[in-house]
Amino acid sequence: MNAPDRYERFVVPEGTKKVSYERDTKIINAASFTIEREDHTIGNILRMQLHRDENVLFAGYKLPHPLQYKIIVRIHTTSQSSPMQAYNQAINDLDKELDHLKSCFEVMLLRWQSIQWSTNRHSKNCKEAYFDKRCQIIVVCCHANLY
Amino acid sequence: MEGKSYQRLPRVKIREMRDDYMKFELRDTDASVANALRRVMIAEVPTVAIDLVEIEINSSVLNDEFIAHRLGLIPLTSDRAMSMRFSRDCDACDGDGQCEFCSVEFHLRAKCHSDQTLDVTSKDLLSSDHTVVPVDFSDSAGMESSEQKGIIIVKLRRGQELRLRAIARKGIGKDHAKWSPAATVTFMYEPDIRINEELMDMLTLDEKKAWVESSPTKVFDFDPKTEKVVVVDPEAYTYDDEVIKKAEAMGKPGLVDVIAKEDSFIFTVESTGAVKASQLLLNAIEVLKQKLDAVRLSEDTVEADDQFGELGAHMRGG
Repeated sequence: MNAPDRYERFVVPEGTKKVSYERDTKIINAASFTIEREDHTIGNILRMQLHRDENVLFAGYKLPHPLQYKIIVRIHTTSQSSPMQAYNQAINDLDKELDHLKSCFEVMLLRWQSIQWSTNRHSKNCKEAYFDKRCQIIVVCCHANLY
Repeated sequence: MEGKSYQRLPRVKIREMRDDYMKFELRDTDASVANALRRVMIAEVPTVAIDLVEIEINSSVLNDEFIAHRLGLIPLTSDRAMSMRFSRDCDACDGDGQCEFCSVEFHLRAKCHSDQTLDVTSKDLLSSDHTVVPVDFSDSAGMESSEQKGIIIVKLRRGQELRLRAIARKGIGKDHAKWSPAATVTFMYEPDIRINEELMDMLTLDEKKAWVESSPTKVFDFDPKTEKVVVVDPEAYTYDDEVIKKAEAMGKPGLVDVIAKEDSFIFTVESTGAVKASQLLLNAIEVLKQKLDAVRLSEDTVEADDQFGELGAHMRGG
C-alpha cells in the first residue's frame, strides 16, 4: 500500500541533480562524484576506465545501500590532472569505445548476412519464404559495397 | 586542457546467429564493459509489454489478476520501442498513458461454444498497431505454422467467456521483468589451454586416457594413432579445475596450464523474441551510450567548481 513506485529506481526525482561533485577538503586533487539513479553498470565501467589513466592515483565506486539508488565515485589524481578532467576523459573514452564497438558489430553483421545468403542460395532444401527474407538482405549488402 | 586518450578499440566476431539467438566473440576490452553490456541487455533495453488490463467479462477459472499477469508476460514485437515514449514522460496524454505515442491497445474476445476445451492464446489478442503484436514463434521453432497456436493464456470450457481491453506500454526490465528482452545473456573468458608435452609423454596410455576422462566436459581427446592427448574444444572448459586436480593426484603438477584471457569474451545472447538478438546488442550499446551521456558533468557544476576552486586555492595560500 505504501510501497514506493517502481520507477523511483531509475527516474531522477525533480529538483535533484543527476551528478553532483564534491571536492575533498583535506586532499588536493581528490573528489567524490555522487551519481543519482545509477548502479554497477556505470560505476564499474567508469572505475575500470579511470584505472587506465596514469594520472589517476585512486578510483573507486560504492553503492552505499541497495535501497538508495545512487553510486559514489571517488577519484584522486596527480597534480598533472584533476578529478573532473579524469572523469570527463573516462566518459569520452568509453563513449568512443562504444561507438567503435557499434560500427565494428554492424560491419560483422552485414558480412555474416551476405555469407548466409550465398550459402542459402546454393542449398536446395531452402524454403521459399526464407529465401525471400534473404533477398531483401542482399539488397542491403549491395548498397554497402557500392558506397 | 585536453587529456590523453586511453580509448580501446574492441573487436567483435559473430560465431552463430539466428533471430532469437546469437553467439559472438568480444575482444580487446575488459570484463567491466562486457558485464555492463550484459546488464544493460537484461535490464535496460526497452520493450513493449501489456501494463494495464480492463476486464469486461471473465467467467474463466483464472481470476482477473492472474490473467492480467499472464498477459503482461507475453512478449510483444518491440522494434519500435527504442523510438517510443515512456508513458510517464509523454506530453501528448499527460501521463495517463493512453495515446498513440506511448501505448498500444489490444482487445481480446473469446467464448467457448462447444464441448471441447477452447484454448485462448496470444493469437487471440488483436492489436491496434500492426508493428506491435504478440511474438510469433512458428518460424524459429522449426515447426509447421499450422501446429503453432501461440502462448496459451487460459482454457475455457463450454459457456465460459473472456473479454478484455489491454494497454501495452514501453518499459525496461529494471521496472518489471516482463519488459526484459533477454531470456539469457552470458559471457565467459576465452580459455587458453596448453598441455605440457614433456610431462604428458611421461604418462602411460592408461594414465592419459584416465586424465582425459577426468574432465566433466569434453575438452581433451586421446588420439590412438599418435598416442597423444589433444585439446579438441577449449571452450567446453568450465573452469572446474578437475583436470588440474587429477594431474596433481597423478603426481604431475603443471601437466596442463589453463589461462583465462582477460580481454577476450565469448557471449551468448538469447532473446525472448521481442527484438532480434543482433538488434538487442545494438540497442544495448545505444542505451549504454545514452546512460554515459547522462552522467556527464553539467555546465553549472563545472562553473561552481571553478569559482570554489579559486577560492580554495586562495585559502590554501596559492
